[in-house]
Amino acid sequence: MEAFWAGLQVTFTPEILLLVLAGTVLGIVVGALPGISGSTTTALLLPLTIMMSPIAALAFLGSIYCASNYGGSITAILINTPGDPSASATAFDGYPLARRGEAGRALGMSAVASAIGGIFSVVVLIVAAPWLARLAYQFGPPEYFALALFGLSMVAAVGGESPSKNLLAGATGVLLATVGLDLTTGVERFTFDVPALSDGLEFIPVLVGLFAISELFERMAQKGIVQEYVKLKSMDMPSWADFKKCAKAIVLSSGIGTFIGALPALGATTAALICYNETKRWSKHKEEFGKGAIEGVAGPEAANNAAVGGAMVPTLALGIPGSTTTAIILAGLMIQGVRPGPHLFNEQPTLLYVVFGSMLVCNLLYLFLGFLFAKGFARITLIPDALLWPAVFILSVVGAYAPNQSMVDVMIMLLFGVVGYLFRRYGFSPAPLIMGLVLGKLVEETLKQSLLIFDQDWTQFFSRPVVVVLFLITAASLLVPALLRVWQRAPAGRTA
Amino acid sequence: MVAAVAIAACIVAFALTFRFSATTPAAMMSGMGAEFFPRLVIALIVVLAVCIALGIGSPPMERPAPVPVNVWITAGVLLTFVAAVELLGMWLASFVLLVGLARMWGEKSYLKTGLAAIGLLAVVYLVFVRLLKSNFPGGLIAGLWS
Repeated sequence: MEAFWAGLQVTFTPEILLLVLAGTVLGIVVGALPGISGSTTTALLLPLTIMMSPIAALAFLGSIYCASNYGGSITAILINTPGDPSASATAFDGYPLARRGEAGRALGMSAVASAIGGIFSVVVLIVAAPWLARLAYQFGPPEYFALALFGLSMVAAVGGESPSKNLLAGATGVLLATVGLDLTTGVERFTFDVPALSDGLEFIPVLVGLFAISELFERMAQKGIVQEYVKLKSMDMPSWADFKKCAKAIVLSSGIGTFIGALPALGATTAALICYNETKRWSKHKEEFGKGAIEGVAGPEAANNAAVGGAMVPTLALGIPGSTTTAIILAGLMIQGVRPGPHLFNEQPTLLYVVFGSMLVCNLLYLFLGFLFAKGFARITLIPDALLWPAVFILSVVGAYAPNQSMVDVMIMLLFGVVGYLFRRYGFSPAPLIMGLVLGKLVEETLKQSLLIFDQDWTQFFSRPVVVVLFLITAASLLVPALLRVWQRAPAGRTA
Repeated sequence: MVAAVAIAACIVAFALTFRFSATTPAAMMSGMGAEFFPRLVIALIVVLAVCIALGIGSPPMERPAPVPVNVWITAGVLLTFVAAVELLGMWLASFVLLVGLARMWGEKSYLKTGLAAIGLLAVVYLVFVRLLKSNFPGGLIAGLWS
């Protein structure tokens, strides 16, 4: 409890409050820009955090993560193009509402539902993360190895529709994590005698290239597509009737969203899509969905923001990212020499409670800012691509160059920009690659440590009950979706 | 095609791992060598590539349309920019790129793009040079005056 109050005291210092405000505004603004997702925003702004303390960096990045989800809904509702993939389900009913002249009503409900979902998940984070950390404190290297494998197996569910491609991208990320000096033997691996690669691939150029530069190529390929913009007169506080109608959807989606967010690798987008379906299933007005149902806005918005807090649970308690953006946040912390995990709860509890506190403040801030400056945020969607994307490129170059003052990092960023673009063209998602890159070192280190403990006897893994359970869950997460697909196809095959 | 590229890359990567064992100190030869884990992952990638080629866990997708000319031009411009930074320096090269790319994207007004470029570069200068104390390449041209 002492740490909790100490954390809250630090949260309410002017420096942290200012950073939370800056992160919230940047998150909403960039989240509202079509095509720039929360992950891209976090990757682009990661270089700024290098000069900050870990507490300040985590408060800043956490606020961007929270606010960009809400920012994404502005574009989804006004121009039918989600600013963030997690807002894609919001567009299903948000845009029809806006076209009916009820953009203010949709945006108002989006802000309130997002804030409730976000606050709910932070409360769960405050309760669940220390509990999970206490449990994980008993873990040794074999358990961590099994846990990291489980995290990697979950990448099969992230991004594109092909589990094999997702796993291949994840494995590629793990292979890329082996670049650099092997700490056990002192041997340089895949460095091609380039001194800059001795410490391994820098996270920032890879992240910026995969997200921002590949998106720039993608937007260039779509140049000329004109979006229809619905004008916003004002943002309206939800009426009591709307609130009553949506209460069930908000409560249900906050719970489901937090749970899905807490599963490694499953993030806000999956949570929002599942909760859109659940909201529709439990609604008394199913016929309104797709035509402008206010519940269709409330459900996904509560879910995608609830998933943010949920995703922070495994990230902070276990060091296993709960989503792509938390993988980037994790990379940011690793750059600063902080490795999240159960030990953090004993060693730096203040840091954790500042994160919880700043996320709570951020959820209240964007609700307040959303109502106050709705029209201003809505105008962001009008920034022409011709000014936006060249600016994104310059920010990417500066971000990749600044940490090490190295043009090699800029070249690596461009290389991964091309890789990211090719990934998208051929149905791969860059998200699993990031998960693999972040978890790769943990997998190799814990495997080596485990084998040392087991005297190189692999069968000893099966003598640890937690490892066996985690291996079984991993196998199930890989096999069950495949078996379900076969099961679903079977009747169609028999009738054909 | 995707599977073939992945397998070809794996063959190259596997060949490269032989350089690790050659450079491993004798005292470190016991246990898991530096090449073991990368080879394990390479083998996994090959298995997954074969799965993709056979359509296991990977629904067939349409052949993507050729890469639009705009994308090739953008890639060329970005590569040229990296070379231009050495010659013109970060600030001048960035200004030219911002105005040029905006023009390529269809923005006609040089005044508008010029002002936007100056505004952005001023923010970058304030944040990265003044606040974060970063140094950006001045370029050969700037060197002529110093």
